[in-house]
Amino acid sequence: MHYDAVVIGSGPAGSVTARYAAESGAKVLIIERRAEVGVPVLCGEGISQKVDHYKVLEGTRWIATKMQGARIFSPNGTMVTLAAEYAGNETGYVVYRDIFDQELARGAVKKGAELMLNTRAVGLLKKNGKITGISAQQFDETIDIEADVVVGADGVESRVGRWAGIKTTLKPYDLETCVQYTLANIDWDSPYCDFFLGKHVAPGGYVWVFPKGKDVANVGIGILASLSEAGKAKQYLDKFIAAQPALKKGEPLRILTGADPVAEPIQSVTDNILLVGDAARQVDPITGGGLMHAIEAGRYAGETIRKAVEKQQFDTELLSEYETRWKKAFGKKLHRNYVVKEIMLDMEDKTLDMLADSLKDYKFEEFSTISIIKALVTKHPSLLVKLTPLMKLARA
Amino acid sequence: MAKRKAVVKKEKCLACGGCISVCPQDAILMIFSKADVDDKLCNSCSICVKTCPIGAITWEGASHAL
Repeated sequence: MHYDAVVIGSGPAGSVTARYAAESGAKVLIIERRAEVGVPVLCGEGISQKVDHYKVLEGTRWIATKMQGARIFSPNGTMVTLAAEYAGNETGYVVYRDIFDQELARGAVKKGAELMLNTRAVGLLKKNGKITGISAQQFDETIDIEADVVVGADGVESRVGRWAGIKTTLKPYDLETCVQYTLANIDWDSPYCDFFLGKHVAPGGYVWVFPKGKDVANVGIGILASLSEAGKAKQYLDKFIAAQPALKKGEPLRILTGADPVAEPIQSVTDNILLVGDAARQVDPITGGGLMHAIEAGRYAGETIRKAVEKQQFDTELLSEYETRWKKAFGKKLHRNYVVKEIMLDMEDKTLDMLADSLKDYKFEEFSTISIIKALVTKHPSLLVKLTPLMKLARA
Repeated sequence: MAKRKAVVKKEKCLACGGCISVCPQDAILMIFSKADVDDKLCNSCSICVKTCPIGAITWEGASHAL
């Protein structure tokens, strides 16, 4: 069997890539190693309402709750509230990721993409040094799938990139290791997604509470793998929940683990190969959010495949258009936020408390760099020195 | 004495893939929704053991869970 493109992984990045490629008439196959698209869920399930602009999801079945914004709690409990439009890519909707992924896959299939479940890619096919497709295991059978483009939408643990010679191994410093419960029967009826910071809460990361309807919420933690010990993320999360009267009587409907790359953007293209989504580290290094980037990049990838098929040219030169587009759209932001991540990791809890105290009454709708600096420094002049690296970044 | 090797407790693994993404030896694969360490490639660095958020990776021959 021969395809224009074979997509490894039926997550959002894979399905959206397949959708846009198939829509242009390309012959596309998605392979998924699991027995059900979107299951098990490996995610906090927060996404910006900007997803509506892409029109890749029908209906509203995938939405659990619509959020008004985010609240950030500093280590001493000082709260900063952000309206949804200032709260970044992770606030807006809390979704059911299994339904969300299945709706995106359904959209791809409707545009003509094929989908194979229980099919695990095991290596690249090569002829005279050129990549000609993949070898896959389907149930107990090994099959060869020929394709001009191989799309690695195979997540944080991406094999496709490694096979093609792209260095994808993450340093523990660049990975958040996560656990999340979906807790039922809690007293948490809030229109906000909450984020809790502090070395004693979540070393190098944060705890989140994303409401999923009245008295149900995703309560999760991410800690930096370089600060982790075996099972530490779960221990810290359990400790957090036990200390919150509103949460501790909750019972889990689900427990899941996750791994979130908080790395610099990487090379995402080589001859006959594209990497999309978490596989290309298209994740905000501060928040760990990646859904919006996966969808945006998936669109660019699908459109580039269309061009490649039209010209019957599948080399780095043509496919680079994809990388140019996503790096232009949000690569710079990811790089900047990576630098901010490093600065924040060096901050003492006390500094975070001062920052929160300065910002707790700040009106973000009147946001400007000058006004925010003024707000920060008026209350806590010593912040000026601590924030010098951030100021330099803002000017760059 | 041979170096100890990392082993995934299959009954605990929830398949997030974090261990695979940080393994410098490329020694871990996801097989039927459970991580699996190739002990011929494992260099005993302990990065995966520390990374696992629920402590599902331990050392070969360890009699108790971590």
